[in-house]
Amino acid sequence: MKAFEPKIVCFLCKWCTYAGADLAGTSRMKYPPNGVVIKTLCSSRIDPEHIMLAFQQGCDGVFIGGCHPGDCHYQSGNYKTQRRIVLLKKMLKQLGINPERLRLEWISASEGNKFANTMIDFTEQIKTLGPVPKTSGKEDK
Amino acid sequence: MKKIGVFVCHCGVNIKDTVDVEKLTEQLAIYPGVTYIENYMFMCSDPGQNMIKKAIKEKKLDGIVVAACSPTLHESTFQNAVEEIGLNKYQLEVANIREQCSWVHNNIQEATRKADLIIKTAIEKLKLNESLKPVSAPLTKRVMVIGGGIAGIQAALDIADGGYEVVLVEKKPSIGGHMIQLSETFPTLDCSQCILTPKMVQLGKNKKVTLYVNSEVESIDGFMGNFKIKIKRKPQYVDPDICTMCGDCTDVCPVVVHSEYDEGLSWRRAIYVPFPQAIPASFTIDTENCLGFEPIACGECKKVCQAEAINYDVKTEFFEEEIGAVIIATGFDLYPVENIAEYGYGKYPDVLNGLQFERILSATGPTGGEMLRPSDGKVPKEIVFIQCSGSRDPERHKSYCSRICCMYTLKHAKLYKHKVHDGQPYIFYIDIRSGGKRYEEFIQQAVSEEGIVYIRGKVAKVYKKGDKMIVHGMDTLTGKKVEIEADLVVLAQSIVPSEGVEKLIKTLKLSSDDSGFLMEAHPKLRPLESLQSGFYLAGAAQGPKDIPDSVSQASGAAAKILALMSKDEIQHEPIIAVVDENMCSGCGICIGTCPYGARILDENKVAIVNDILCEGCGACISACPSGAAQQKNLTDDQINNMIRVILS
Amino acid sequence: MKLPYYPGCTLKANARHFEKSAIQAMEKLDFQLVEMKDWVCCGTVFSMTSDDLMLQLASVRNLLRAEKQNLKELIVLCSMCYNTLKRANDFIVKDKGNLEKVNNFMYKENLTYSGKIEIYHLLSILKDRIGFSVIAEKVKKKLSALKIGAYYGCLLVRPEELAIDNFEDPSIFEDLISTLGGESLDFAYKLECCGAYQTVTKKDVSVKRVYEILNSARESGCEAIVTSCPLCAYNLDFLQKDVEEEYLDFNRIPVFYFTELMAVALGCGWDKNWSSLHFTDPEPLLREKGLI
Repeated sequence: MKAFEPKIVCFLCKWCTYAGADLAGTSRMKYPPNGVVIKTLCSSRIDPEHIMLAFQQGCDGVFIGGCHPGDCHYQSGNYKTQRRIVLLKKMLKQLGINPERLRLEWISASEGNKFANTMIDFTEQIKTLGPVPKTSGKEDK
Repeated sequence: MKKIGVFVCHCGVNIKDTVDVEKLTEQLAIYPGVTYIENYMFMCSDPGQNMIKKAIKEKKLDGIVVAACSPTLHESTFQNAVEEIGLNKYQLEVANIREQCSWVHNNIQEATRKADLIIKTAIEKLKLNESLKPVSAPLTKRVMVIGGGIAGIQAALDIADGGYEVVLVEKKPSIGGHMIQLSETFPTLDCSQCILTPKMVQLGKNKKVTLYVNSEVESIDGFMGNFKIKIKRKPQYVDPDICTMCGDCTDVCPVVVHSEYDEGLSWRRAIYVPFPQAIPASFTIDTENCLGFEPIACGECKKVCQAEAINYDVKTEFFEEEIGAVIIATGFDLYPVENIAEYGYGKYPDVLNGLQFERILSATGPTGGEMLRPSDGKVPKEIVFIQCSGSRDPERHKSYCSRICCMYTLKHAKLYKHKVHDGQPYIFYIDIRSGGKRYEEFIQQAVSEEGIVYIRGKVAKVYKKGDKMIVHGMDTLTGKKVEIEADLVVLAQSIVPSEGVEKLIKTLKLSSDDSGFLMEAHPKLRPLESLQSGFYLAGAAQGPKDIPDSVSQASGAAAKILALMSKDEIQHEPIIAVVDENMCSGCGICIGTCPYGARILDENKVAIVNDILCEGCGACISACPSGAAQQKNLTDDQINNMIRVILS
Repeated sequence: MKLPYYPGCTLKANARHFEKSAIQAMEKLDFQLVEMKDWVCCGTVFSMTSDDLMLQLASVRNLLRAEKQNLKELIVLCSMCYNTLKRANDFIVKDKGNLEKVNNFMYKENLTYSGKIEIYHLLSILKDRIGFSVIAEKVKKKLSALKIGAYYGCLLVRPEELAIDNFEDPSIFEDLISTLGGESLDFAYKLECCGAYQTVTKKDVSVKRVYEILNSARESGCEAIVTSCPLCAYNLDFLQKDVEEEYLDFNRIPVFYFTELMAVALGCGWDKNWSSLHFTDPEPLLREKGLI
């Protein structure tokens, strides 16, 4: 049987974590190719519904990267994200999805190594957790 | 459906070595929506760009995906290329398959699979991209500066120099701010008034500058580029254009009150000149202390004014100014020493704050520059300076460092030594912060050559014994209690936002930090701008600052405004929020999430977006419970489609 | 009107005149101080132990008993008892976990404390409940000509959350003295520690403190000191003997409890027995000023 390769969606804010991911590239760091990136201007653009849709579509892990507290390009967007994610994790638990499948990290544009290490670590973690449980319903839209 | 062209770059070997570009081209050629696909060694090169242009023309493409390096590098290159050929630049997407794919993975099969997904997300996003134009609005080329201290003066002069009209609003009867009260300035010890007054005169004479003294901002309307600001001007009852500054009026005035200029250390009349070099150069009547002229209770000043400059019938006036951008330079005040009861300020006349000591040092001060203490006019032989008085004390006072006190306290001690050679200054300090150009040298010279004694520790209390002020403190380096019998105590009070700025912040709907200082748009990258578009910051209004820093920030803010004014209209990125008016329920949740005040409820209870103010963060969109708000070219549908394609 | 009060050990021993004068003075103000039944030591000596639960127990026991007696509040005269009781009360009222811990600890007594007893110092009652203006009207013998230094010591105004007045710049004592017609003089050491328990083990420390405090009061022109703490009163008064031996420039100065001065001012007169409880007899001073 083929080894389990998790599907991971990464939402990265343009100003910090996306630039951090670019730096990981220019520094030729290596990490697993499971995560595919969707770039937003700010982590606060990410609607919990997007994350729910991802899990519903069989996503094994969702990663969100934002600016460090106090560094948000839009002043307070990362705080809003933080609050939403805390609540969403509670909800995921109630729905039978392990909240650890959702991870929020603050990664700055200078933290290429942090981005690479987080990708390695998160992929590893999702591999241990196994595939996301199948839901019975179909797409919401 | 859009006809999409995909261009895969090899980037020499940088992409090609890990991503199988040929296979990729083959796979994507049959992806829905893709009408044309090609790969090339360097897409960013001229031949590469021409390849895109040619394909747009020949294949009638209306959407382009370039799979290459990070968009930070060449997105604008490709955008310019497609615009040259007449395609809107928002119909181009860059798929980052180098930094986030070929450079970080080793396995060709895996990297190719991932590159395939990255390009597909770009295609899915592009399918729903709209052609956009930058948001633009007309621009009033007139600037308001609020606050007439050194920062406000500098900013106003720079903008006037750039050729634009400036309206300067100052709440006091003269410009000059706190700098005009200072004796000498650190670290050069040059006379503060000598360097400031020429600038004040220059400002007063400048034809481009309209000066409103005794004035405050009453209300504001509009948005960046097009403000309508109402100014309230309190009457000064003496016409500055007629007043000859003879001073006859002040001689006959029977009212005597504390002088603000001398920080309460001298007296003035109710009709007075704030200080000799005041701009505008005119007498003014202080209605709070004047015996009154409705009905006339005294009227002596009017009787003696030969120039007939005094008119009691002047009323408070309101002016409306059309303004494109505003600089806030409201400066600072000192933390009220009364809040620190143990230092005995107010109880003992020989406990002074830093500004009062500046006045005693100043040649124009109450003692004419002689070093005499207020209680009995004796020369103080021992002075204790207490730094961090109210600063760095999170439990009881202000938690922050006031930045300028280390330097000005040392300056005080030095100037004191220069006046009283056998005097002994003691300075209580927590740490010495001398991080400015030539500041450390200033300190070292004083410590080694001038015999100033530094004691590391805090003062517990100050009390009076006979004609001495007893200072009880702790030397934390030796762990011993210290008791000094001083003749004078000078407190380096914390710097706090100037009085009344809280009201101004409310009126202008700006934001402040937890200490009441104005908040900058970004602590590192946008320190000159407020979060609210069209407002710029200068000087101590933004945080404690010395003169060089205030001037730098003022000139910086002025340069920002000059750049803004150089255009005919204001423009910015159209990737902003948009509202479906039929879906909006008017709940107003978005209004609270917007840090820019760009979401407003209109008269139909629709939470509309002010295009000029919106920066496009998207916080309001994800907060919208009905899905009425969307981000242009990053709608929920686009994001959802990208998620689906990643998971397909 | 009746006010339930907690005396504490010293008021039954060497501060008997503190209690007596307080009861007399309060009667003149139409208040009856009623001693709570069955009280025990407030536990103040344990405040030096490191076990923070242990040091609260004696106080909590008093609070429990007060609640059982259906009291709503306790008036305290001694600064130290006030501080200890109030601190213990806050300890269990502000943190339910602490309350539970204490209740578990005292399971044998089969009592639970609801945390509804309020602790007041008599000075706060005088100021806030009776009002200094009301007291001023009832003064029969103004203490005019008497120059008094108000000595707060440490526990009346520290820590900030227990302070009965502004902890850096209190004025409640001075206001009371002016109410009684006396002249209160500011002096530098009014908030300093008297040496407290050091008097047992390191007497020389306390002697030095007492000298500094009294000397600073003398230098400011004070003729007497007034306090509300039996420990301060003991140190400031009885150590004068040692201070005299150590410092040649020292002049004795009488130390009053504020209630003694109230008793005199409100017309209760001076009880001869009180003199014997002082080291420096204040009677000659009171006579000299024509107050008795």
